[in-house]
Amino acid sequence: MYFLEAIGDAVQRLAYALGLYPLLAGKVIVRLRKPPWFFPLIIEQCEMVGVQSLPVVLLTAVFTGMVLALQSWVAFHRFGAESMIATIVSLSMLRELGPVLVGLMVAGRVGASFAAELGAMRVSEQIDALWTLSTDPVRYLVIPRVLAAMLMMPLLVLLADAIGMAGGYVISVYALDQNPHTYITNSYDYLELIDLYSGLFKAMVFGTIIGLVSCAEGYYCAGGAGGVGKATTRAVVVSAMSILIADYILTAWIFK
Amino acid sequence: MSPEKTSAKQPAGIISLQGVHKSFKGRKVLDNINMDIMPGESHIVIGLSGAGKSVLFKCILGLLRPDRGAILINGEEWFTLPIEEKLQRMSCVGVLFQGAALFDSLPVWENVAFVLRRQGMNKPEARERAAEVLEWVGLPDICDKMPAELSGGMKKRVGMARAICHRPDIIFYDEPLAGLDPVMSDVITTLMKRLHERMNVTSLTIAHSMKLVREFSDRVSMLYEGRIYQQMARHDIDSSHDPVFKQFIEGRADGPIQFTFSGSDHGKEAT
Ligand SMILES: Nc1ncnc2c1ncn2[C@@H]1O[C@H](COP(=O)(O)OP(=O)(O)O)[C@@H](O)[C@H]1O
Ligand SMILES: [Mg+2]
Repeated sequence: MYFLEAIGDAVQRLAYALGLYPLLAGKVIVRLRKPPWFFPLIIEQCEMVGVQSLPVVLLTAVFTGMVLALQSWVAFHRFGAESMIATIVSLSMLRELGPVLVGLMVAGRVGASFAAELGAMRVSEQIDALWTLSTDPVRYLVIPRVLAAMLMMPLLVLLADAIGMAGGYVISVYALDQNPHTYITNSYDYLELIDLYSGLFKAMVFGTIIGLVSCAEGYYCAGGAGGVGKATTRAVVVSAMSILIADYILTAWIFK
Repeated sequence: MSPEKTSAKQPAGIISLQGVHKSFKGRKVLDNINMDIMPGESHIVIGLSGAGKSVLFKCILGLLRPDRGAILINGEEWFTLPIEEKLQRMSCVGVLFQGAALFDSLPVWENVAFVLRRQGMNKPEARERAAEVLEWVGLPDICDKMPAELSGGMKKRVGMARAICHRPDIIFYDEPLAGLDPVMSDVITTLMKRLHERMNVTSLTIAHSMKLVREFSDRVSMLYEGRIYQQMARHDIDSSHDPVFKQFIEGRADGPIQFTFSGSDHGKEAT
């Protein structure tokens, strides 16, 4: 009995939460068509997103590139096909690992801070106060954050791609004794533009997901300080899950 | 003894509530509220914690949508207006929130001059106006402090400065004295009275303090079980014989409003 009730409870919460994301998305879309857009706030949020994410993104990217080179070497060494390492590293970084890993890190870093900031503002009535001060909280708080996440993700992923490939290069050339010139040629020769673009497009979608989910969790937060903590956790978990699911759907769609 | 009845449609007051209902998950919080706030009046709403006073405020301010009924401000229903129009009209109200609700990320003067800045006033001018209003509430020289550096009483006064900086006609106070020491309570009460006398504003206040009711109100409404249980002029408060009302203003635990206590003194262990 208790078990069934718990399931019912969880389903109810899920339905409630899934109703909030489209609700906020709708509010954002309606408002995007007309000014004011608060450009200084958008720039400020872009800076915040960049500053918060850069260290984790760079660290993630360089180690991913390095371990990718190392692992592919183990496999390709058995066939004597070490020259393929470069292609594997660049292809996996651009198409898959760059956007997904950066997405997960940004969900943890930026998503959590969006939800916590807005949640704290909600429970301390600052969002209500904005409204009474003739300012639309969705325009003032939500749109700059969603846009910042959407615009900064592709830039971060571009950087991560470059750093990851560089990490792979360093390991292959200095630890695994590959020829640097062949490595560089092989990195680029088999790439197509779609490999890069698909990754950046994914990044933009993931950024939008992170922005909307985290802002919705914070914006509709209830229940005092405990509520803010729960909203923050949910923002990260739901963003991360949605990124993985969206990644599959996008991959299946782009490369069908 | 019965809830006040107002004649339908044509509003007499600057704020007029007509048959307002609001429920949360099937629980009625506001049940057919009718009230009119006259221009220039200071109206205080009293009631037990959880009676729905803050919900009433939020409905009037457009932060919550009533399930049923009409709320007219200056004779106009705001709910049907587009968002931009609503926001534009909000400049005729000022609100002091219970916890002041200052924006943590902005320095004090930008909090106070928030509406002015949004209306396009330039920085030096807005700052000067903010400084003037801050001085009026007795807080000179704190323009560049951040809200986190202020004490509770200072936050309340900055919140008040923010509420009045754009010269509103109607001011809402949500429990303006909650959590303040007696001296600071008197300071805030004095400011509220001065504001009323000098600027001819209309105000709607949520309060628990009978002292504030006696010093500041023109009329009092008691919210009880989702309805306006009693409404009267201030000088009639003490002559009221209604037992529920008397229990509230005298602040007694025994009376017609029943509170049940756990029988044992070890109630904590049971939970
Ligand atoms: N957003 C909300 N969702 C659900 N219930 C609410 C909400 N806001 C208020 N309530 C409920 O409405 C009742 C009245 O609350 P409130 O107006 O804050 O009381 P008070 O008179 O102390 O200000 C409370 O029981 C509260 O639980
Ligand atoms: Mg309240």
